[in-house]
Amino acid sequence: MKKRNETLVGYAFVAPALIVFVALVAFPLLFSIFLSFTEWNFLSGWDNIKFAGLNNFRKLLADNGFRWGLKNTFIYTAAVVPASIIIALVLAYLLNDKVYTKKTLRLCFFIPYISNAVALAAVFKAMFREDGVINYILMRFFGMQEAIRWFTNSQFNKIPIIIFVIWVQIGFELIIYMAALQNVPRELYEAAELDGATPWKKFWRITFPLISPTTFYLVVVQLIAVFKIFSAIDVMNFGQTAYSNTSIVVEIYKNAFQHYNFGYASAESLVLLVIIIIATAINFIGQKKWVHY
Amino acid sequence: MKKKSKNSKLACTIILWLFALLFALPLIWMILASLKSSSEVFSRNWLPAVWKWENYKTVWTDTTVSLLRSFVNSIVIVVLGTGGQIIISSLSAYAFAKVNFKGKNIVFTLFLASMMIPVQATIIPRFILFYEIGLYNNLWSLILPSWFGVTSIFLLRQFYMGLPTDLMDAAKVDGAGHLRIFWQIMMPLTKPAMVSSAVLSFITIWNDYLSALIFLVNKKTYTVALAVRYWLFDDAQRYELTMASAASTIIPVVILFIFCQKYFVEGIATSGVKG
Repeated sequence: MKKRNETLVGYAFVAPALIVFVALVAFPLLFSIFLSFTEWNFLSGWDNIKFAGLNNFRKLLADNGFRWGLKNTFIYTAAVVPASIIIALVLAYLLNDKVYTKKTLRLCFFIPYISNAVALAAVFKAMFREDGVINYILMRFFGMQEAIRWFTNSQFNKIPIIIFVIWVQIGFELIIYMAALQNVPRELYEAAELDGATPWKKFWRITFPLISPTTFYLVVVQLIAVFKIFSAIDVMNFGQTAYSNTSIVVEIYKNAFQHYNFGYASAESLVLLVIIIIATAINFIGQKKWVHY
Repeated sequence: MKKKSKNSKLACTIILWLFALLFALPLIWMILASLKSSSEVFSRNWLPAVWKWENYKTVWTDTTVSLLRSFVNSIVIVVLGTGGQIIISSLSAYAFAKVNFKGKNIVFTLFLASMMIPVQATIIPRFILFYEIGLYNNLWSLILPSWFGVTSIFLLRQFYMGLPTDLMDAAKVDGAGHLRIFWQIMMPLTKPAMVSSAVLSFITIWNDYLSALIFLVNKKTYTVALAVRYWLFDDAQRYELTMASAASTIIPVVILFIFCQKYFVEGIATSGVKG
């Protein structure tokens, strides 16, 4: 009797979260999986859902938009994750006890992370215009001959986006690293100093191994965040028809909510889901190998 | 030795300030551009020739997309979304930590696993659902999904597990049920964890763009992100107005952050020391 009562109470407490979870996460996920095997344009109505087997997935392989999106998403991830984590680590290491006005500096680096991404991307869009301030600085002070068309030239159009995401994410990584560095015992540094260790050695032999769980955590979180890159590209690409800097999510959005091809877009979203699951799994396996507690 | 370390500290400070300046450059440029006239936005002068404060008035009172209205919408979404998430997550967290019920581990594992599911993999059926039940173009389409927050549930559960069970037992002897123990004794003790979760949830909801873009098409329901987008994509291409709306969106949050810096920093930092 007592036990049954506990179970009842337990579910009563979990019920609100469970209801939202089932209605807005679990059920939609299953429905997405179902839709990915159909050909269905939302505008054509419920009666026109057609079972299509693996057609959507076959189409994905041949779809240039999706292939570009996939390739670019990996490029964005490969560029953003290491760069932002290294910069954040260096900043956190210096900010921790090697500077004056630590709190004000931290605030400066943190602002982009808490600010609205669309507002920030709008600023980048203006600054990277052909007649914008970035080209002006490059030509005036760095001897560049000709203004770069940052958004239309497919050689360059990923650069503003990569810089943007690094800029935004550093604040988050910085805070986490600073918290981790606080936990490194001071005695270790003092002992190393007595042994005559250089600052360089102290960093690599003490700091880096001790904060490796944090680095691991940040790699996982950032990989997943950049795989889902959307806002920056959507805002900065406005007005262009060529989408050579597209990402997986930009493609999903385009197919689902501009063309209403729900079946095909669902198949794309499943690919994203699988990539994220694989990345998480690889990271958890890899963690055992290179994280030193 | 002492002198040397002081000098290096000063050098470090100067270098980092230069870097911070570079970091803040887009924001400085944004504020200056928001005060220029149309013809001057892309000129070579950093400072405006005439300071056009009326740019701000224009975006805040525009009759098609007033920033004021967008702010109200965004605040409603953030407050109801975050508030709901904290209450609902606290209830679950308490049950996961302090109530022994059948299937507890299954439900908890299921919740944790859902961390891996990107919103993009659920948003199409969610759109169909909201469209069918009349929540399209309705702020609730952004509020309801945020009521399920795995990170909050996880953070709060950790905190509840750290609370002594003696406290509960004493209350039980006095005849208090779980609801009273939760509401009157335990929940007030988790304030630090609730603040941390609220900060994280605030940042996530405030930054949301994809869902707003999909669910809120009517200009009256625009959030601040959509309002900035509206000015950016406006045919007139008045960048000074786009910058005024961007600055209006960013500055209040920065001010909020300056006042609550401690909570923000702790909130973010606790998310990183999971497990």
